[in-house]
Amino acid sequence: MSMLALGLLFGGVTLLVMATGMPIAFSLGFVAIVFMALFMPAASLDTVTQNVYEEMASITLLSIPLFILKGAAIGRSDAGRDLYLAMHAWMQRIPGGLGIANVFTCALFAAMAGSSPATCSAIGSAGIPEMRRRGYSPGFAAGIIAAGGTLGILLPPSITMILYAVAAEVSLGRLFLAGIGPGLLLVALFSLYAAYRFAKEFRTAHAAFEREGTHSAYLEQKTYSLHEKIEMLPRVLPFVILLIGVMFALYGGYATPSETAGLGAVLALVLIAVVYHVWRPVQLGPILGATLKESTMLMFIIGMSLLFSYVMSYLHISQSAAQAIVAMHLSKWMLLAAILFLVIVLGFFLPPVSIILMTAPIILPPLRAAGFDLIWFGVLMTIVMEMGLIHPPVGLNIFVIKNIAPDIPLADVIWGVLPFVGLMFVAIFLICFFPGIATGIPDAVMGPPVVR
Amino acid sequence: MSPAADPPGAQGGGPARHAGLLGALERAMAAINRLVVFAGMLALLVASLVLTYSVFSRYLFKAATDWQDEIAVFCIVGAVFLAGAWVQAQRGHVGIEALSSVLSPGINRIRSVVVDVLTLAFCAFFAWKSWTLFHEAWVDKMTTSSTFAPPLTIPYGLMALGMTLLVVQIALQIAYYFARRDTRASG
Repeated sequence: MSMLALGLLFGGVTLLVMATGMPIAFSLGFVAIVFMALFMPAASLDTVTQNVYEEMASITLLSIPLFILKGAAIGRSDAGRDLYLAMHAWMQRIPGGLGIANVFTCALFAAMAGSSPATCSAIGSAGIPEMRRRGYSPGFAAGIIAAGGTLGILLPPSITMILYAVAAEVSLGRLFLAGIGPGLLLVALFSLYAAYRFAKEFRTAHAAFEREGTHSAYLEQKTYSLHEKIEMLPRVLPFVILLIGVMFALYGGYATPSETAGLGAVLALVLIAVVYHVWRPVQLGPILGATLKESTMLMFIIGMSLLFSYVMSYLHISQSAAQAIVAMHLSKWMLLAAILFLVIVLGFFLPPVSIILMTAPIILPPLRAAGFDLIWFGVLMTIVMEMGLIHPPVGLNIFVIKNIAPDIPLADVIWGVLPFVGLMFVAIFLICFFPGIATGIPDAVMGPPVVR
Repeated sequence: MSPAADPPGAQGGGPARHAGLLGALERAMAAINRLVVFAGMLALLVASLVLTYSVFSRYLFKAATDWQDEIAVFCIVGAVFLAGAWVQAQRGHVGIEALSSVLSPGINRIRSVVVDVLTLAFCAFFAWKSWTLFHEAWVDKMTTSSTFAPPLTIPYGLMALGMTLLVVQIALQIAYYFARRDTRASG
């Protein structure tokens, strides 16, 4: 069978099996084993489990459940609400400050929790009602939260980045640092948009008031005294210190990334015990249970994706596909655009974890050959996959929002989110033209990359 | 990346919905899952504590950290594989649901049972190969390649046990389907 036919058959069968609704993890494993049985030596079937175990038994990959644990601990406490209230109180004087406070809270919280959906539900359940009470249009309020939540997979520690670092064999520490600049850029863009949109909605409300005396909550100013503001800090500061402390342990050379995960989880549990008195087994049960459930689901997908990639590479499908892409002699930027487009399309169907592990062996060699920095590309790919979280048809965050605020029509949420998708495109262009946004911080902290 | 929204233990702990042998099996499986999930939660905590200890021991006592990573790996691999059946009991392994939303309910039921049978076949194969791997590691006294060198029978055994539980769980879910169909046919 020709390489092309084999590749198409492999891809086709995979899509078909997945389309039946078979869980992604089992679909990948199933297809891998069927192709092993048909096209590979019989002995390979005997070592399939050893293969999966050896691929999975990396402490970097297995730190993922611990990052999830840290996120669940913080996400299920009241830290999100308190962080939000504090941000709100401190930023109220800025025009559109409430919206901006939401963006900042999402970013901070996402960096601590490392999960987009968790951020959306924690910050959204406090933020959306508050913004609506203050007159923000429902779509705008939902858009801010949905988009803010995506910052979680860009700001360290990010599960998506751990997988990318493993798949692309790049330094995880460097990749984490490379996410910070673009993360801040997105925070800035989102904030500017929030301020602009606030000004616009405020003017409309003001004009309506002048004309017809229609009262709008927009026109009221709520102020906090300095005393109130300072009172809010003790509950929030520990978490910010946790965030900074864990990063310090990582980059100060005190801890490996996986140890950072363990340390972060333990510290988060200690903090919620001290600050929110969450320490009884009955309170910890749901946190650990949710962690175990999400980790198991994720690690099954990861393990089976690794098996899937192994088969793809054993049969030379990934290598041939990569060569075919190189042989097309696309210009550097056309290649990048085509690959990002592929990632967007895959994002319609698959969670980021599978996209990375399944496509890395195909798309990374051509990118490397074209002279792209793989750390830089990792950041771009992460942003593109973030977009997949907020655009239809999957758009997980949209559905999380729909859960928190069931009375906002889905269409409003989607229209509210679209401008943020646009802003993410702007960020992607900016990072393409000014790669230093991503690579500047790691180069400054860890020295220039070693040329391979 | 499912939103970890629903409370754990909501499923698997509830009253059995089936009578007779199937109900007994369902209750037994739910009890096993509860036990296993408890062990999994503990394992996650242990892994975090061990890695935290690793940071401090290196910093404070300048001690070499050779065993911590492996203990953490074993804990997490064990937790993940053992919890596989419990997640399956809640239908928590995500799939692409696009097709199920357009099919009629009748065809959808058939689709889902076919999917379950395929999943069962895959998991049964995987469980079988895990046990042969375990056996091999047992006979050859295989260890990891580190200086700490713990036996590989530990993770392989946990993987095999977890996959076996998963097979039982899926088999039960298929059995529920046929039990329901019989009730509908007779009622």
